[in-house]
Amino acid sequence: MNPDLFPQLNRVIHEKGRLAIMSALAAAPELTFTELRDLLDMTDGNLTTHIRTLQQEGFVSVAKSYQNNRPLTSCTLTAAGRKAFAQYIDLLDQIVRQSKPK
Amino acid sequence: METKWAVDNLQTIRTLMERSALYRRALAPIMILAGTIGITAGLTGWLCRIESNRGFICLWVVTAIISLAGALFLTRRQALKDSEPFWSPPTRRICQALLPGFFVGLVMASLILIFSSRAWGEGVQLFLVILWVLFYGCAVHAAGFFMPRGIRWLGWIFIIVGCVLLSYLSFGGHWGDQLQAHLLMGGIFGGLHLAYGIYLHFTEQKTSTA
Repeated sequence: MNPDLFPQLNRVIHEKGRLAIMSALAAAPELTFTELRDLLDMTDGNLTTHIRTLQQEGFVSVAKSYQNNRPLTSCTLTAAGRKAFAQYIDLLDQIVRQSKPK
Repeated sequence: METKWAVDNLQTIRTLMERSALYRRALAPIMILAGTIGITAGLTGWLCRIESNRGFICLWVVTAIISLAGALFLTRRQALKDSEPFWSPPTRRICQALLPGFFVGLVMASLILIFSSRAWGEGVQLFLVILWVLFYGCAVHAAGFFMPRGIRWLGWIFIIVGCVLLSYLSFGGHWGDQLQAHLLMGGIFGGLHLAYGIYLHFTEQKTSTA
């Protein structure tokens, strides 16, 4: 097995909570804060912290809007986030394939 | 050890991606179409004085089939427009969630249709309306886990309306003639779908990015 693969895993995405957010956003065009919170069973504070980290890395974009005069926060994966997520998956896949007996 | 961790991570990612793929296609047009068809069928049954169990069941099963076909047509049209697969994982999960409720409703209707004159007396229509409303509400609520949150509320409204009607029936409430079943069906299925469709239409349009 190539041990160099592990350090290549993106540290920001690698954290469990952030990986869950990235995974959820990778499969949907956009998700509201509430949908993400319910799906991932996270607290508001926890989710906010992780989203902020991902936003600072440029992986997630956050849009504030209004629906029925109530604030609505929507999250989307950016192109950079999608690329980083794809690379992360690819690395995981390589790790699994390398360890399979030939 | 590392391999197991990687496999577990990939599995978790896959599960999360499947769960987060919410169904968002053409909900407002589908609801408005179903509502309009429901109200039209209710008025048709009432005005044409379709009183027999067979007539009632046939009218509403045909109405359900037309509504489903219309919903599938709208879904397919939007999928083609967006260059997306029609039979996508969210669509598949919605259908799987709706199926048990729809199946029980259809079996009940078939049994009443077949044994209409023997096991069931005339007047079973109102009872059938309540059961259809309850099963439909449960089916919509189940499907709501793969759709935007509002759908689950719609499911609950159907369930509550069904329970209120069942309580009214249980406490010996007066129902009037058989034709009221058509108005109930039109009002509940047609009215609720139309109201929700109009709500979706306007709220989705009003959403503006700040």
